[in-house]
Amino acid sequence: MGELKVEKHVKYILTVEKKKDDFESVVMEHLRLNGAYWGLTTLDILGKLDAVDKEEVVSWIMQCQHESGGFGGNIGHDPHVLYTLSAIQVLALFDKIDVLDVEKVANYIASLQNEDGSFSGDIWGETDTRFSYIAICSLALLHHLDKINVERAVKYIVSCKNLDGGFGCTPGAESHAGQIFCCVGALSITGSLHHVDKDLLGWWLCERQVKSGGLNGRPEKLPDVCYSWWVLSSLIMIDRVHWIDKEKLVNFILDCQDKENGGISDRPDDAVDVFHTYFGVAGLSLLEYPGLKAIDPAYALPVDVINRIFIGK
Amino acid sequence: MTGAAVDPSRLLSHLEDILGSDPDIDEVGFIHPTQFAIFNEAIHSSPSSSSGGGPQLEDGTKPKPAQASSSDTFFWHNEHKLGISTLVLDPLYRAAKDAFMDAYKRYRLLSYSHVNKDGKVDNNVLICSTSILDIMESEVMKHSKALLLLSCDFGTAWNSRKSIMLKKLLFPMIMDELRLSSLVLSYSPKSERAWSHRRWVIKMITGKYANVQEIVERDSELVKTLAENSKMNYRAWNHRCWLVSYMSHSQVLLELQRSRDWSGLHVADNSCFHYRARLLLQMIENLRHNNDADGSSGVEFHQLWKEELDWVRTLIMRYVGREALWLHRRFLSLVWMKHLANDDQSISCNYCSSTCSTFNMFIEDELMLFHSCTIIPDNDFGDYHAQAVYSATYILWLAKQLPTTFGVKLRRSSQYEVLRRLLNDVGKSCLWDSTTASCTSI
Repeated sequence: MGELKVEKHVKYILTVEKKKDDFESVVMEHLRLNGAYWGLTTLDILGKLDAVDKEEVVSWIMQCQHESGGFGGNIGHDPHVLYTLSAIQVLALFDKIDVLDVEKVANYIASLQNEDGSFSGDIWGETDTRFSYIAICSLALLHHLDKINVERAVKYIVSCKNLDGGFGCTPGAESHAGQIFCCVGALSITGSLHHVDKDLLGWWLCERQVKSGGLNGRPEKLPDVCYSWWVLSSLIMIDRVHWIDKEKLVNFILDCQDKENGGISDRPDDAVDVFHTYFGVAGLSLLEYPGLKAIDPAYALPVDVINRIFIGK
Repeated sequence: MTGAAVDPSRLLSHLEDILGSDPDIDEVGFIHPTQFAIFNEAIHSSPSSSSGGGPQLEDGTKPKPAQASSSDTFFWHNEHKLGISTLVLDPLYRAAKDAFMDAYKRYRLLSYSHVNKDGKVDNNVLICSTSILDIMESEVMKHSKALLLLSCDFGTAWNSRKSIMLKKLLFPMIMDELRLSSLVLSYSPKSERAWSHRRWVIKMITGKYANVQEIVERDSELVKTLAENSKMNYRAWNHRCWLVSYMSHSQVLLELQRSRDWSGLHVADNSCFHYRARLLLQMIENLRHNNDADGSSGVEFHQLWKEELDWVRTLIMRYVGREALWLHRRFLSLVWMKHLANDDQSISCNYCSSTCSTFNMFIEDELMLFHSCTIIPDNDFGDYHAQAVYSATYILWLAKQLPTTFGVKLRRSSQYEVLRRLLNDVGKSCLWDSTTASCTSI
């Protein structure tokens, strides 16, 4: 039906990366580290990571580090786990985790675990299962899960399970595909997937596929390319991906491309952005679209990067 | 005229003057320059409006001033409403960000200089520079406010306000934070940082400065207002669910009652039905803790649950093919049947048999409901087809959760084949297979 315009997407990302001074980039500057992760991981999946200046990126990332050990979204910004994970992930892409004072970063993350096993995003105390995933994913990549109480962390995540089998941001919150990805990912990394009722959750997840073939994040919502990642990776982790129509999803993602200027949008004919470009490409990788690097569904990094970290070069 | 001709720091000063002069601003809009001229001409009440002499253009309007000295061209402020021209958003944002980051950096340096090497506060330094510190604090507060109106998820700015609040803990400041977050949420209702800032403030003041019940009521109302235009806003409804843990039992019941009409008018809003489920679960938890011997808890639960089930059934029949309603029914029916099943074991035989029949009757009723939904009229709109599919997955879902009771009854019912065929036709045979696999008797 359609095809993935690889060259156009690479060009789009490189343009965004260079454009630091136009208004759109400037108002998103507080989360530029996340943007770096989305853009660079996409380039790696497309086999074009070498198009960027590795040293320049690594140097900029390190400048985003706060004295607490955590990372801010940009230079001079307060630290938060959201950006800390992106920093670790980007360094992993470049095989540069060794520039970190691993102890320091790991201690920062571990210090944010609460009594009940949950994690705060920063010193200001907001808890969210996203932060549980971030903490567990980060510490696993740094080989320091020993710094937290994993059992309690798992117990907290399980307490966020709802009657429909899904997970929300806190106990009793509405099930949401993004939050589900975080909870399932965290449980997967800690070897605790037996806590998930896979049929029940698989049911909720497969009902996210709508007529157009796209996936939404909650009932009654419109499909959005980013859910091609959140829902799909969750289904893969619980071994229920055969419950959705993969071909239809591939076509939906391809329809969301801007075939002229590159980039992918949330749904067909909308404006593109780096966020959706990453999730579209990552989703296609999970769907085994030809020519793309394989991506790990739990760590959201290319499989060869994960192998390098856990198995060695 | 481009925004580049304008001095950004003057723009920032003007904005901050407006914000300082009017702490009750409750609406902010970002207005296209062409719209702006209309605003200015029509309603502007400032004495410096361009109504004095001067040449007129062909269409009868007056030319905009060439200089930025009349910053009225970029800001409009009247009756607690603030309009900012989109023309100047870029320079304004940069000016606000630079001013804030600079002020915050200097403030933190000064704060730390009060603490000498062994961590003790240096009183000599403290006495001299307390007033300077105060000035710096108000600079940070002023610039962060302007910045947050333009970039509501600029976390560092929200944090700076929290840092200062921790040191001061003054009630008026606290109210200011609630006002600022409300204002930001009025046009950025999904702003994660605004919601979490609000929760942080509420946690600080509950019990100490303000009445919990009042806070809960007001914030619940805030979500309801925002939810009107921001459908299924996850952050907003999550905030409302968060409030539930602060509610008394009677407040929970009141919320259930009061939010029912709104829910009935927003039947496609899955989040609002989830909120009801949250309230219902809280009610159950409260009733369990009540521990009364006269069984009034059980009666209260039965009554409320039956009411909710009947009400949802009415909505389902009226609003054909609405997924959120069917999902809410999945929740209600599952909890109901589990409760009825528990009753079986814990109560005497007489009651037991009547509960058994209640249980069986309920299953029969639901199967009848499904049957009525499979009748698709000739002039079919997609909604009736959707209704059939939703009712089918509803039945199957319950069979999957309760294989030995619901599952068994389904297998023996006349609806079994209809259900199987329907689900197969819409490509959901994976769900069918999974359900029949877990029900050994099916």
